[in-house]
Amino acid sequence: MKFFPFVWRNLLRNKLRSLLTGGAIMLAIALVCILRTMPAGFDNFLNDLAANTRISIHNTAGIVYSMPYAYLGRVRGVPGVDAAVSWTWFGGAVDKDKGVTFPNFAVDADAIGVVFADLGFEPETLEHFRTHRDGALVGRMTMKKYGWKRGDLVTLSSNVWPLVLTFRISGEIPSDQDPRFWLRREYFEESLREAGVTFDQVGMIWARVDDPNRVPGVMSEIDAMFRNSEAETASETEKSFFQNFFGSLQGLVTVILIVTALVTLCIVFIAANTASMAVRERLRELAVLKAIGFRWQLLFATLVAEAALLSSVAGGAGALASLGLTRGLGAAAGWNPQLGPLSGFVMTNVLLVQGLFLAFFIGILSGVVPAFGAARRSVASTLRDVF
Amino acid sequence: MIELRNVSRFYQRGADDVHALENVSLEIPAGRFVALMGPSGSGKSTLLNMLAGLDRPSDGQISVAGRKLNDMSEDELAEFRAAHMGFVFQFFNLIPVFSARENVELPLLLTHLKKAERRERADTALRIVGLAERAGHMPAQLSGGEQQRVAIARAVVTDPEIVVGDEPTGDLDAKNAEEVLGLLRTLKQEFGKTVVIVTHDPRAERYVDEVYLLDKGVFMGSRPGGGGARS
Repeated sequence: MKFFPFVWRNLLRNKLRSLLTGGAIMLAIALVCILRTMPAGFDNFLNDLAANTRISIHNTAGIVYSMPYAYLGRVRGVPGVDAAVSWTWFGGAVDKDKGVTFPNFAVDADAIGVVFADLGFEPETLEHFRTHRDGALVGRMTMKKYGWKRGDLVTLSSNVWPLVLTFRISGEIPSDQDPRFWLRREYFEESLREAGVTFDQVGMIWARVDDPNRVPGVMSEIDAMFRNSEAETASETEKSFFQNFFGSLQGLVTVILIVTALVTLCIVFIAANTASMAVRERLRELAVLKAIGFRWQLLFATLVAEAALLSSVAGGAGALASLGLTRGLGAAAGWNPQLGPLSGFVMTNVLLVQGLFLAFFIGILSGVVPAFGAARRSVASTLRDVF
Repeated sequence: MIELRNVSRFYQRGADDVHALENVSLEIPAGRFVALMGPSGSGKSTLLNMLAGLDRPSDGQISVAGRKLNDMSEDELAEFRAAHMGFVFQFFNLIPVFSARENVELPLLLTHLKKAERRERADTALRIVGLAERAGHMPAQLSGGEQQRVAIARAVVTDPEIVVGDEPTGDLDAKNAEEVLGLLRTLKQEFGKTVVIVTHDPRAERYVDEVYLLDKGVFMGSRPGGGGARS
C-alpha cells in the first residue's frame, strides 16, 4: 500500500492524457456492458412473452402456409391438451394507407382464456368477448397508443381479406408490452361468407398442455398425427417459436457481440499507446529509481498497476454509466410503449463485475509490454542514452 | 574502501567495438572525496557506473565495502545499491509530482520503516542540505541549486557509506556549483562518507581530496586536490 501514492500521483502526472484515455475506456466499457445486456434482455423478453406450457402448431412449410380448420378439433382431442385456439392473420389497419400498425388475428373466443390464462384476463373481459360477436381483445400497448378504452368501437380494414369490420373492445390483453389485437373467428368467418369467400383454414393453432413435462410428448404426438397429410405440422414451444420469429434479431446480437470484442481490442491498443508514451517520457526517472535500489519487478508492478488503476477506475465509471442508462431506459419504457422491449435490458451485478474485470484486464494487457521493456532496461544503458 | 583490479569494459555501439575502460586498477579509501576527471569519452562515467554497481565489467574485479560486485545478481546489486550507495545526477532527476520531502523519502520506501519514521528521516536529510523550510515544495517551485540539494538529501537519507555523483555541478551556475561541492565536502568531513564524483568542473579540484585522471579508458594516475589541504 505504501506504493499506492507513487502509482496514483504518476497517474495524475498528465491529467489531460489520463482523462482522455480514461474517457475512451469508460465509453468502451459502457458500450460493452450495454451490448452485453442484449442477449440476456432478449431472453428475458422471450421469457416474458412465452409460457412454458403453450405450444404453437403450424404448417411445416412455414407460418405463412395455412392448415385445415379441422386440425383444431383433432389437436383438442390429443391427451394432455387442455385447450387450443385457431389463429389466423386478419391484417387489419386503422388507416389502410398507413398499413398494419399492430398484429391482429382471428381467434376462438371459447378457449382463448384457457390457452392464454397466464396473461391474467379479467373475467368480465373474457365474458364480453365470448358473448359479443364483434368483441375484440386489444393489447395494452395498442390501447395506450390509440387512446382506446373498453366499449369503444374500432374499425379495421383488412389488407388481406375483402373486409372492413367494426369491433367493440371487450377489454385489454393485460400485458404492458403486448400490441396484439384479437377478434372472434366466427365474426371473421361469417363476414367472409357474406362477402362470398369460403375459408376453412387456420394460420396456426395455439394449444395449452396440462403439464410442462408432457410438452415434448404432446408436440411429437400432434406432428405424428398429421404426418403424410395435406398439411404436415411442426409444433414448437412458444419460446422457440418467438426465437425463430426474431431469428434475425439474434443474428444482430451476434454481430453486436463481435463488434464489442473489436471495440475492446481497439481500446487495448489505445491504452497500450498511452502506457508506452507515459513510460517513454519517464525513462530517465525509471533509471534513477533503479539506480537507488528499486528492483525491476517493483517498477514493473507499479507501471502495470498504473495502467490497471486507470483502466479500472474508468471501467467502473463506464459500468455505472451503463447501469444508469439501462435503468433510465427501463423507466422510460414504463411510460413510452415504443420502448417496451428495452425494459428487458437489465444491467445485472454479474454484468457489472464482468465490465470491471474487462477494464482491469484491458489495463493489465495494455501495461505489460511497455512496463516490462522499461523495467528490464539496463540502468547503465538508459543513463548513457538519456544523459 | 573501493577497489578495482584490472577492470575492463567493452561494448558494441553499432558496428564498432568500444573500449570504454582498459585494465583499470585503483583504490579509493573509505572516507575520501575523489573526483574522476578526464576528457569526454575517457571512461569516467563508465568507471563510476562500475563502482556504483550500475554496470558490470567485461573483465576484472570490483570490490566495494568488502563485497565483490561481480558475483552479485541484478537483484542483489539493487539491494546493495539501496543499502550502501547514494546517487546524485547532473539533471537532479526529482519526480516532478512529488514534493521535496516525498522525493527524499523515495529510497526509504524500500526499507521497513514506518511512514512517520520515513518522514522524520527525510526532514533530517533536508535539514542537512539546508532546505527544511522548502520540504513541501514541488521540484518545479525550486531553483536548480535547490533541486540538486534535494537530490543530495535523497542520496544520503538511507545513510549510505558511499555517495556517487555524475557531473553533479554540470547543470548549475557558479554559485550553486560551489554550494553543492561544499555540501558534498561536508558529507565527507562531517558524516564520514566516501564521495566519488565524475566532473569536468575545475572548481571541484579545490574541494576534493584527490583527483583521479583517466584518458581513453586508461587510468593515468592521481593528484591531490585542494580539499585534502583544507581538511
